[in-house]
Amino acid sequence: MLLELRDIEVRYQKVAALKGVSMAVPAGGIVTIIGANGAGKTTTLRAISGLERLTRGEIRFDDARIDGLAPEEIVRRGIAHVPEGRRVFPDLTVEENLRTGAFLRRDKAEIRASLADVFDRFPRLAQRRRQWARSMSGGEQQMLAIGRALMSAPRVLLLDEPSMGLSPVMVQEIARIVTDISGRGIPVVLVEQNAEMALLLAQYAYVLETGSVALEGPANDLHEDDHVRRAYLGG
Amino acid sequence: MDLLWQTAVNAMYAASYMSLIAVGLVMIFGVMGVINFAHGELYMLGAYCVVFLYAQENFPFLLAAAAGLVFVGLVGLFMERAMFRPLRDNPLSGLIASIGFLLILQTLVVLGFGRRMGHVPPPTQEKLEVFGAVLTHQRLLVIVAAILLLAALWAFLKRTRFGWALRACAQDAEAAALQGISMTQTARIAMFIGAGLAGIAGALTAPLVSPTPYIGHSVIVTAFIIIIVGGIGSLEGAVIAAVLYAFVHTFVTTFFDGVIANIVGLALMLAVLVVRPTGLFGAKERA
Repeated sequence: MLLELRDIEVRYQKVAALKGVSMAVPAGGIVTIIGANGAGKTTTLRAISGLERLTRGEIRFDDARIDGLAPEEIVRRGIAHVPEGRRVFPDLTVEENLRTGAFLRRDKAEIRASLADVFDRFPRLAQRRRQWARSMSGGEQQMLAIGRALMSAPRVLLLDEPSMGLSPVMVQEIARIVTDISGRGIPVVLVEQNAEMALLLAQYAYVLETGSVALEGPANDLHEDDHVRRAYLGG
Repeated sequence: MDLLWQTAVNAMYAASYMSLIAVGLVMIFGVMGVINFAHGELYMLGAYCVVFLYAQENFPFLLAAAAGLVFVGLVGLFMERAMFRPLRDNPLSGLIASIGFLLILQTLVVLGFGRRMGHVPPPTQEKLEVFGAVLTHQRLLVIVAAILLLAALWAFLKRTRFGWALRACAQDAEAAALQGISMTQTARIAMFIGAGLAGIAGALTAPLVSPTPYIGHSVIVTAFIIIIVGGIGSLEGAVIAAVLYAFVHTFVTTFFDGVIANIVGLALMLAVLVVRPTGLFGAKERA
């Protein structure tokens, strides 16, 4: 397994946000984490990125423990995280945002190649490369946030609610992008409230309920599961 | 007419060194979220670098001024390590610690140099005429140095990866961390530059102000007015507000007096806050 969570617990003061979660992400494909608001999806990704400290358990990447490392060290190892709400830098231009994504890389030629590749994938970003990120639409900002993450040349991509607040057309577009990224050999961990979309894209799925894994299995199976259908797919 | 133009030239001088101070203060606040109350004392320390190295030890003036930038920058690094980093989760404690630190700096300078004015003979008495207004070489040096330093800072922020990192960190520290940008490293850069700019402002103006250990006080009040008018967190705003404030203050001082100028300066801040609570160039509250 490329990325493994073993019985991790995260507490905010007294309240446990994650109560012993275990997950495994293989070296290819899309793994999704679905669940209601407050189930711990975002906390799981934040724990992987080093933004939250574990109170128990361990996280392994490439067979080395990464829990307890600083976020920048975790990025250096190859984990890119597109946070909830996109969090692009509003007063940086599109191109500057993308270049911050390559902050830890040194080879200028390679960075230029990555930039060209991102502009290739997201022509809209190329058209707007000198615009302030704040002036862009939600969908464009999501593309920018994903592009920024790709600029770090990641070995795994964590995506937190990429479809949030977007129009159905844009959600389709994001779905296409996620599939495309995984198709190029970068495994994706997709956190979604849009369970329908997530289960269609992913090969494997975890269902989080109040900080624990309630259910896991191949995404197809969960898509047909009665409990999942009732709770997350609207019947 | 002559007096108007002369006053405008004087205002340009005031604007230039106040810009350096205010920009540094904004930078420190932007990256660390802490209001550095000791910023005026960093200016004072820069002035005393010149008192010591140039006036007492006879080193060349420009060398003493450069030493002021570096030395005060290093003091900034010390402040980051000793105060702001351990107190990172609590900006209010950082502010209080910086108040304590300013008293320490004042006391150290009193111990070392006494509480009376340090006399710094101007390195040059020459002056030139600019369309009828008199501009001493010393003041011209301050203006030119401020423009060059601000241009260099601008180039650093817009053209280098550490510059992007610093701006990114000021806008969203957590998202910056997810790009591999280390908060600690960024804070050190901001602190060195911010403190160093205050230091060189003090160093360059030392021959013009006759430094005392207490000159930081009026400087910090002015700097606060400027960054509030400019919009806390906006570097461009700080420069523009410094120019605006310097012109208003200098003109009112010349044509009325200094006390009224201070009142007008505060009234200006109040007016901006009423009309635009985030300052002229401040961003809306970020989520």
